Amino acid sequence: MLDAPKKPLVRVENLKMHFPIFRGVLKRQVGAVKAVDGISFDVFEGETLGLVGESGCGKSTVGRCVLRLYEVTGGSITIDGTDIATLSGADLRAKRPEMQMIFQDPQASLNPRMTVGSIISEPLDEHEHMTRDEKRAKVGELMDAVGLARRFADRYPHEFSGGQRQRIGIARALALNPKFIVCDEPIAALDVSIQAQVVNLLEDLQEKFGLTYLFISHDLSMVRHLATRVAVMYLGRLVELGDAETLYMAPRHPYTQALLSAVPNPDPAQAGHIERIILEGDVPSPANPPPGCTFSTRCPRAQAVCKQDSPAWREIGEGHFAACHFIE
Amino acid sequence: MKLKYLVAGTLGAALLSTTAMAQMERGRDGNANIIYWQAASTLNPYLSGGTKDIDAASMVLEPLAHYDENGNMVPTLVDEIPTVANGGVSADLTSITWKLSEGLKWSDGTPVTSADVVFTANYCMDETGGCQQSAKFGGVKSVEALDDLTVKITFDGPKPFPYGPFVGATTPILQAAQFANCMGTAAPTCTEQNFGPIGTGPFTVTEFRANDTISLAANPNYRDPSKPAFATLTFKGGGDAAAAARSVLETGEFDYAWNLQLAPEVLADMEAKGQGTVLSGFGPLVERLMINLTDPDPKWGDERSTVAHPHPFMTDPAVRQALSMAIDRPLLVEIGYGKAGKVTCNVLPSPAIYDSPNNAGCEVQDIAGANALLDEAGWVRGADGVREKDGVRLSILYQTSTNAVRQDFQALIKQWWAEIGVETELKNIDAAVFFGGDQSSPDTFQKLYADVEMYANNFDGTDPEAYMGNWQCSEIPSPDNAWLGGNMPRYCNPDYDKLVKEMAGTADINERARLAIAMNDMLMQSYTIIPLVHRGNVAARSNTLEGVKLNVWDSDLWNVADWSRAK
Amino acid sequence: MLNFTLRRLMFTIPTLLLISFIIFLILDLAPNDPTGNLPLTIPPEVRAQIRTSLGLDEPMYWRYLLWCKQFFINEPLNLLNQWFGWCIGDCENRLRVTSFLTRSPVVDLIAERMPQTLWVVGMSYVVGVLIALPIGVISAYKQYSWFDQFGTLIAMIGFSVPTFFTGVLMIVIFSVMIPQDSMFWLPSIYDTTLKVVDWPSFVQQMRQMAMPVMVLALFNAAHISRFMRASMLDNLSQDYVRTARAKGLKEKTVLLVHVLRNSMIPVVTVIALGIPQVFGGAIITEQIFKVNGLGQLLIIGIQNSDIPLVQTLTFLFAVLIVIFNLVADVLYGLLDPRIRYD
Repeated sequence: MLDAPKKPLVRVENLKMHFPIFRGVLKRQVGAVKAVDGISFDVFEGETLGLVGESGCGKSTVGRCVLRLYEVTGGSITIDGTDIATLSGADLRAKRPEMQMIFQDPQASLNPRMTVGSIISEPLDEHEHMTRDEKRAKVGELMDAVGLARRFADRYPHEFSGGQRQRIGIARALALNPKFIVCDEPIAALDVSIQAQVVNLLEDLQEKFGLTYLFISHDLSMVRHLATRVAVMYLGRLVELGDAETLYMAPRHPYTQALLSAVPNPDPAQAGHIERIILEGDVPSPANPPPGCTFSTRCPRAQAVCKQDSPAWREIGEGHFAACHFIE
Repeated sequence: MKLKYLVAGTLGAALLSTTAMAQMERGRDGNANIIYWQAASTLNPYLSGGTKDIDAASMVLEPLAHYDENGNMVPTLVDEIPTVANGGVSADLTSITWKLSEGLKWSDGTPVTSADVVFTANYCMDETGGCQQSAKFGGVKSVEALDDLTVKITFDGPKPFPYGPFVGATTPILQAAQFANCMGTAAPTCTEQNFGPIGTGPFTVTEFRANDTISLAANPNYRDPSKPAFATLTFKGGGDAAAAARSVLETGEFDYAWNLQLAPEVLADMEAKGQGTVLSGFGPLVERLMINLTDPDPKWGDERSTVAHPHPFMTDPAVRQALSMAIDRPLLVEIGYGKAGKVTCNVLPSPAIYDSPNNAGCEVQDIAGANALLDEAGWVRGADGVREKDGVRLSILYQTSTNAVRQDFQALIKQWWAEIGVETELKNIDAAVFFGGDQSSPDTFQKLYADVEMYANNFDGTDPEAYMGNWQCSEIPSPDNAWLGGNMPRYCNPDYDKLVKEMAGTADINERARLAIAMNDMLMQSYTIIPLVHRGNVAARSNTLEGVKLNVWDSDLWNVADWSRAK
Repeated sequence: MLNFTLRRLMFTIPTLLLISFIIFLILDLAPNDPTGNLPLTIPPEVRAQIRTSLGLDEPMYWRYLLWCKQFFINEPLNLLNQWFGWCIGDCENRLRVTSFLTRSPVVDLIAERMPQTLWVVGMSYVVGVLIALPIGVISAYKQYSWFDQFGTLIAMIGFSVPTFFTGVLMIVIFSVMIPQDSMFWLPSIYDTTLKVVDWPSFVQQMRQMAMPVMVLALFNAAHISRFMRASMLDNLSQDYVRTARAKGLKEKTVLLVHVLRNSMIPVVTVIALGIPQVFGGAIITEQIFKVNGLGQLLIIGIQNSDIPLVQTLTFLFAVLIVIFNLVADVLYGLLDPRIRYD
């Protein structure tokens, strides 16, 4: 790993996504939900970057911003050398085939009025010039690749189980041979027995097609299993990012420590040694985040400085970043 | 005398017009549009009592004689009106003989004969047919054809006014050939006939759309070759009175609109646009006050408002007269009806020959005179300004039906009566109850549990005999006759009853008019009935339409043959 | 689907029979009288004769059965006779459902009214839908934009301002204030006898339809545009829309193919359910513009206690409502693959 020259496929710099809040009779803007507030990270080619955090911390928003499903408020997103944060219209659409997304709810993310075949082949209509037969063949290949019988092509999404639907979603995402796929909680809505199948499928496909994943999840053990590196997010900001093993073994940021302490350890021998850190209070509203370090209101190690200054995002080890005043 | 003169006059006029208009061509003025906001449902007036249907049919079907705008009879399919004088009505008043004009043709070209008249009578008198005009044939014993052009109608008793059947638009002549299979129970199955009767009138039906539009064309066989001036005519139905008025007075899309019962200021505004003219015609409808001559005091129980107990002060003619004198009738007309009303001092103001000239005095309000009259009669103002005599206060309960105009009238009259020292309490009752005749209700206009009441009434046709008969002694409503009877004031005068009897045996129309006027004057001069407003019908015509004469005694379209376009 | 439709159709028969009986009962129990509108000068005995001639002295159940026979047997046989010339039984003197008021067959009256009702009310429905769909789509897509606010305002006006107001307002503007020789002048009275045979008469027809159609279309559009907007908003926030965007589809494709097609499912059923109203006519608007369609026929029938007319018309409306409910259900099944009835 170290010897290979790592080349970032995706570089996100100072990404901001603020959703305006409108109130009153005249619907004036009275504020903004700072769902994502200045985060930066790279995703290297061929790797899986795990993005974890509590519900509502903004991780799904990051995923959607990276694929430009939102108009971002600020920052840049460079994919394969092109800054897509400011692209629009046809230019952006031309870029779409390179980046795809697998969604959390496989039911809702498939158009109920389209057959599986047309769902998978629709992007081909848009971006490729293929004959009918070529398209049919391609759809068949994709269905094979995700482990769906080809005869299902004429069925509608509601006729499938959750796991099968997610396979359809994956096949659809693969249709344009993307380099980069954002997996937005792709297994959260599935049964545990199915989760493993889907995760294995994603791993197989990564190997087969050389894919790069941004894997968004709140399931820490699944991320540990899948991810090359892991980024931890709290209230719209990254608090720690590092190599998966390092981060899981030795988390540095107090929030990461608290988060990981909640993961049930599969090794009963070790289970007793880890002290669970219980965080006090609720997550503050992203519309009105606390000054200074956003985690300061719940941080067990918080000092006066935390309430005033926002900690810098800095490298604290080889490829290991964190944002905390107290990490050396 | 008068009839004869009229007949001669009309004939003369007809002759004159034929010579003067000899060069005038039928159908020269193109199309005319008539709007009735109630659409016609059928063109057979025997199957519909509705005015709209009768009026529509009157352009196609004609009676033997009709009424002109003054309520006088004019011959239509005959040369002269039968009377006792010309021998047309038998001396014993039990039969009338009509003689059809020669050479009359139906619109299909076949001749009109007495058989058609006989057929029409039998058609309506068939009890299974549901004829809606059968009351017009009341008392008819037989109708027979004496020859091709002569019809004799025999009554089961003396009939001093034998002009019920075949006079006026309600009982026109049907073509026997066309309706032969439509007698009795078959009447309703004859849709084609009912929607397109063959007639003698100025127009024929080209298309009939029930409850919607009738398209008519000039009758090629109409007896006057220069008429009608319009080649085609559209009779549109539907909408409401305001829209109909608008289409004539404001947009000018239509030439004639019927029955525009609208607020006076609304019509005046529309008329100001200058497209058309509002017409009004006056029938016998009179808004009046009825004075209760009996005591409505609840203490009398079942004998309340009956002749057993005379009214404590209304029996004084001076009081009644003063009440009448205090009223400003021109103001009432202006506020309530505008063009649709006029001042009247008679309860029988029309037809013109029955209108008494003897009571004009009421037209001007005279508060001072009324006060003087009451002072003279010994009614002295008390501390509160209300007059009294021998412990009886002039305090009146004044009732009417619920209706915006009537409540305005009540308020005005209360104020005027206060000026002459009469105290008034007002009451208004829902029309359904007031006119409903429910025996158990104390608020019906027949029971008259009040001192004064106000409403309007009229009569059908032009003959006032039955109407004037309302104020005989025998017509007083009381518990004994289940409160039926039209004599609301409980007026009872043997002299009046004698005049009623005399009229029942008099055939001569001038003599009948003299009797009716005498009866009217008796009522007016006793001030038991106080007339307020003579109410009329309102219609509108386009300024380009000529020859319209609004007629309240017959169809609005009675003289549609004479209508023409202004050049 | 076919089984479902057949099964549903089978159920409609007893339903409709029950409806027809209830309508009859209501009309019979209503305290009115076909002779009630006649002038007061027609005496009571003549009224009694008229009632007898209308068959009103027969017992209630007998009159109902008679109507059933006339409507369900005689009228269809008569239609066969008229359309194909087939004569079954006594086709000359067969008793048809006859109006009290006009003494003519009710079915013929209804047939006579159909053209203007379909022209005016039907056209207003079509125009209303055509206006409503784009407004709904754009309002939802640009939620809270000035267009959306404006659309909301129009919808509020369409909903809350009664047609008798908008109708008269339009007449005052287009028929009264604008001079009659102007090309913008519009007739305030609908000519039902106008036959479209050439270009000028077609223009004339368009002119006389313009005002009633616009008045009614505004009302219909208000209704449907709100539905369209709500349904679009529902779907716009769905994940599959995001999927479609992620696929790199054109915004037009996303909106028109994905969102609109899914949003149309409930809207189409609402539109289908509204069609019986078209046949029901628009009573008030028809009165204002004197269109004299089915609505006006019904109101005249009610005013004059024309029981056979009202009974037949109301029953036909009931049939249409039942049928279009079924149509809406079937459409739902056809449009939405998630719905299966069998």
